[in-house]
Amino acid sequence: MYEIGRLCVKIAGRDAGKKCVIVDILDSNYVLIDGETRRRKCNLTHLEPLNQIIKIKKKASNVDIIKEFKKLKIEIKTTKPKKAEKRPKKTKKIKNNEEKTAIKTVKQTKTSKTSSTKEKKATPKKKTVTTKKVK
Amino acid sequence: MPAGRYKSRSLRRVFTKVISKTKLTYKKRKPKIAHCANCKTPLKGVPRLRPHQAQNTPKTQKRPQRPFGGKLCSKCTRAKIKSSIQE
Ligand SMILES: [Zn+2]
Repeated sequence: MYEIGRLCVKIAGRDAGKKCVIVDILDSNYVLIDGETRRRKCNLTHLEPLNQIIKIKKKASNVDIIKEFKKLKIEIKTTKPKKAEKRPKKTKKIKNNEEKTAIKTVKQTKTSKTSSTKEKKATPKKKTVTTKKVK
Repeated sequence: MPAGRYKSRSLRRVFTKVISKTKLTYKKRKPKIAHCANCKTPLKGVPRLRPHQAQNTPKTQKRPQRPFGGKLCSKCTRAKIKSSIQE
């Protein structure tokens, strides 16, 4: 019943209801299938045989099987592998010395502000000292 | 004693952990398990979710990927495909 070239319909799984061909017999229970389904190992209990037999070689390639299926007027959708787009590599920006110093001063002001707010009530004179640092 | 609106058992009672004790909260009940439309056996791979939970879970996690997934059981789908071939 199950020989190489036998047309089948897959019953189980996400490829259920799709037609396929037996390409190779691996075991008493397992076969290799290809066609509308993905090319994969399959249990015989997950297949329902049809009357037709296609003439193909043992371990026929996917391209040959697509040609044979076209003769039966079954078109197989072929998906091209996506080309990986080149990602722009992250490059570290080299900062000038002026920019570096500017960032440092900003950081200092942030820290000084927090410290100054605490000290505001106690000593308002220190506020002037912190502003000098910014410049 | 529970408040009047919580006396009927239509709402589920859940103990939630609060700091240093547990507190009684009331939640709505889960829907029934999904069943096969043909043979009425409970379906696998179909979670019991409230509508707002179902909205936020992806479609692939709510039913099996085979044809008639989430409607028929696997036995019935196999029988259905076989019968469609023979005609
Ligand atoms: Zn069923």
